[in-house]
Formats: sequence, structure tokens, C-alpha cells
Amino acid sequence: MKVIEELVLDENNVAFHPMMGNSYQLNPIAKEIVSAIKQSKSKDEILQELSLKYDVAKEELFIDISDFFAKLKVYGLLS
Amino acid sequence: MSKQKYEIPTINKIDFAMASKYGSPVKSQKIRTEIDGVKISELTEKFGSPIFVFSQKQIEEKYHTLHNAFSSRYPDVTFGWSYKTNYLNEICKIYHDLGSVAEVVSEFEYQKARALGVEGKDIIFNGPYKPKADLKIAVEEGAKIHVDNLFEINDLEEIAEELGIKIPVAIRINMDTGIYPQWSRFGFNFENGDALDAVERMYAGGKLYLTGIHSHIGTFMLDANAYRLATMKIMQLKERVERKFNAEIAYIDLGGGFASKSNLKGIYQSAEVVVPTADDYAEAITNAIYEFNKSENLPKLYLETGRHLIDEAGYLLTSVWGHKRFPDGKKGYILDAGVNLLYTSTWYNFNIELDKRYEGDNEASMLNGPLCMNIDIIEENLMLPPLDRGSVLTISPVGAYNYTQAMQFIRYKPAVVLIDKEGTPRVIKEVDDLATINYKEV
Repeated sequence: MKVIEELVLDENNVAFHPMMGNSYQLNPIAKEIVSAIKQSKSKDEILQELSLKYDVAKEELFIDISDFFAKLKVYGLLS
Repeated sequence: MSKQKYEIPTINKIDFAMASKYGSPVKSQKIRTEIDGVKISELTEKFGSPIFVFSQKQIEEKYHTLHNAFSSRYPDVTFGWSYKTNYLNEICKIYHDLGSVAEVVSEFEYQKARALGVEGKDIIFNGPYKPKADLKIAVEEGAKIHVDNLFEINDLEEIAEELGIKIPVAIRINMDTGIYPQWSRFGFNFENGDALDAVERMYAGGKLYLTGIHSHIGTFMLDANAYRLATMKIMQLKERVERKFNAEIAYIDLGGGFASKSNLKGIYQSAEVVVPTADDYAEAITNAIYEFNKSENLPKLYLETGRHLIDEAGYLLTSVWGHKRFPDGKKGYILDAGVNLLYTSTWYNFNIELDKRYEGDNEASMLNGPLCMNIDIIEENLMLPPLDRGSVLTISPVGAYNYTQAMQFIRYKPAVVLIDKEGTPRVIKEVDDLATINYKEV
């Protein structure tokens, strides 16, 4: 099981990881991405879905999602 | 179907230890949308980025505050604009129009002052290196020469011989005012008797006579009392010289070194708390003159304040070019201005403000400049929200030294804009180009 799958998300966009004992503050779109990862969606699939939903250039979104994934790795939530 | 408003996805670990009675560093943002009523966006759209911006209104307000602090306590005070602090012509002109003479430390600065129409008599020529040819011009034009060393006395005597005149000079002295480090490399030491010996040497030669005594005890001086000690020692030397050589010391010059509201690295408290006021400096100096004056007449008082007068009136606008995530998790922003334009970033923590409020929590970020050099770091750790490409940061105070010491290194030196008293911005120095760089190459 991926570490991120254990993240518990609440309605205030706060996530808690019981094993690590850490809490995280997310914004709504970050919460969507984490939910998608937990559903085993790939980075490309997430990029496609969000670019259809949000008013943002796909190239710009790619940079932001890459940055978000990098941060999840730094936090040890993704390997 | 219309698309939803986008916001950069963010996740930040919650650190409960960061919360305090002062608020949350995760939420607070420092924002500046205008300078003297001119929008930041208007400045960068019209004049480009990066760009230095100076406020004439703020320059003049600061000048009047400091000048009033002294002139309300002392009858004869004149400021000398310290060219090395900022020698852009339009900036120098503002200070000259306000009544400042010029304080220069090289032949180039001397020439600049003359080209701006400053008469020789209104130029104070300081510094440890004054080639004889330049010294001679300054003597011929009646500049105030502040002697730094014995070699200069020899040169001046030769010039006096060549011109068939006796030359009035001032002497720069250094002393212990309780400040560390003690600036002892300029001028002659007071405590060990070098200063009085140098005056004796001048009078023994018969070609020079002393009319002024000058000191400049340091930079970013956070203790106004140090100026009281400096003034006391200058007045003591004045009294000895006047008595011993029947001289008349017409003026004393306390130099500069008054601090600005910049945040010196390593100082815990903010500049608002630790920096003495104009009144503090003025009181320390003028009270000591009255207390230790033994002559019938009070000497004229010169001050060569640079940083204190202009630092807060200068801003650097810089834009975000891109960002990346470093392996340690820190966000790194690439800006179009770096240490090439912010020489003083080594010593000062700047005030860095955003052009608008950004969505999202702050995270530790590093601000890097555009240079392909690992040392190009403006801030190593700054809590910032997610910024966009093109976001504009206003960095201040940068009015003192940053433009004059800005390096033409890798990138062209940027344009400089002055916002006049009516709130109208105009270019006072255009951005450099290849012709600027190649000029004089053969």
C-alpha cells in the first residue's frame, strides 16, 4: 500500500497520516489530486482531468502538478 | 461548459509550533501595490523589469527631517551629498537643489560634481587615494581637501610650490568611540598623537594651513553616543591646534554613517527599534560641540550622510521568471534581479513585498537571481505563497549603494526610474545594451 493511501482527508482540506503522525493543509485542488492518486490515477490522467475542468493552460498545469508531486515525495507520501 | 477558476495546488505540513500570538507565518503576506501613488504594475509594464525606482518625495522628506533636526539645534550646518552612495546625476541634482554640497572620494566623482555645475568650493574631496594631478585640479578650483596621509601632505606642498600659494586644508582623523570595528585606516589617529603630529608637520612645511577637522567613524552606526565622543575628540583637537598654531578652524565635519531603516543581518530587533532617530544623532553631535567649544566662534558643521538619507527612497522591482522544487523540498524562485543588483544583500535582510494577495499558504522559499552562479541568492528562507510567473516583488530599502555598486555581470544593468514630487515616473537612466558594454573596447 502506498503511504499516501493512508492519508485521511477531512472536509476542511486538512489531511492526517495516522502512522506518520503528521497533518497537512491542502487547498481544494490539491485535495482532488490526492484523492485521484489514492484511486491509482496516473499523473497524466490527473493532468488531463484537471485541464478539462479548470481554466489553466495545460503546460502551466503540468509544471504545477509536477511541483506538487515533488512535494509529496519530499514529505515521504510518494516514493 | 465554462471552466472553473484555477488555483495552484498546495500541500503544507502543519507545524503547530509555528503558531504564536504574533499570528501565523503561513498566512501573512506583505503587499505593496504602489509607490507614491504609481501602481507597481504600471511601472513594470511601462519601464520593464527589473527596474530601480526612486521617490523624490521620500528623498526630500528624509532630507528635511534630518536637516531640521540639526538646524533647529545648531546655527550653521551644511550637508554634503555622499556621491558614492548614489551618484546618478538626477539624484545628485535633487540633493544639490536642497542645499547639499558634494562629497567625493575620487577624481571621477569630482568630475561628475563639476559637470553637474557644482563649484570647486562646494566640493569636499575625501578618500585615501588622491592622485597628484587630480589633487592639483581640486586645489586650483578651491575644493575642500581632507588630508588622509603624510604622502598627501608632501603632494600638497609640491602643488603649493608649483602654484605659489598656501593651501587651506582639513585633516581626517580617526579615533576610539567605543565602536567595533574601529575605522583606523582612514586619516590620522587621535589618541596616539598622530593627528596632532600631522598638523605639526603641515605647519612646519609652511605651505599648508588647517581650516577643518573631519572624521567618519563607521557605517550603519546604531549608537548615537559614538558621535558625541567623536565630536568631543574633534573639538579637543581643534582647541589644541588653534592654541598651538594660532589657527582658525572654520569647520568640523562629522562624516556620515547614520543608519537607515534597513534590517542588518544578525540584529534580532527590527530597524524601527534599534536605529537612532535623526534627533538622536543631532542631539549627540550638537550638544558636544556646545559643551567642548573653547573658541569665540562656533565652527561650521558639515555632515556627509548618504545611506540614512536615500536608502528608504529606493526600490527594486523584480519579476518571477520561473520556479522549481529543490530536493530538500524548498521552493526556489528564479527572479530577473539577483546579487548583481543587490550588493548589500550580504549584510541586510530586505523588505520583500508582493504585488497583490495570492491564494494559498506560505511555504519556505528561496529567491534566486538570474545569474548562472550558485551564490546568486537574495533570500534563503522566505515564507511565500505560490507565486505566478510574472509576479512582481518589490525589494527595499535599496536606495543606498545598490545602484552604484551594481555589477555589470552576466546581465545588463537595469533602467532607473524617478517618481517626481507630482507622482510622475520618468526614466533617469536607461537600461544598458551591448553598445554600453562594448564602449571603449578596442
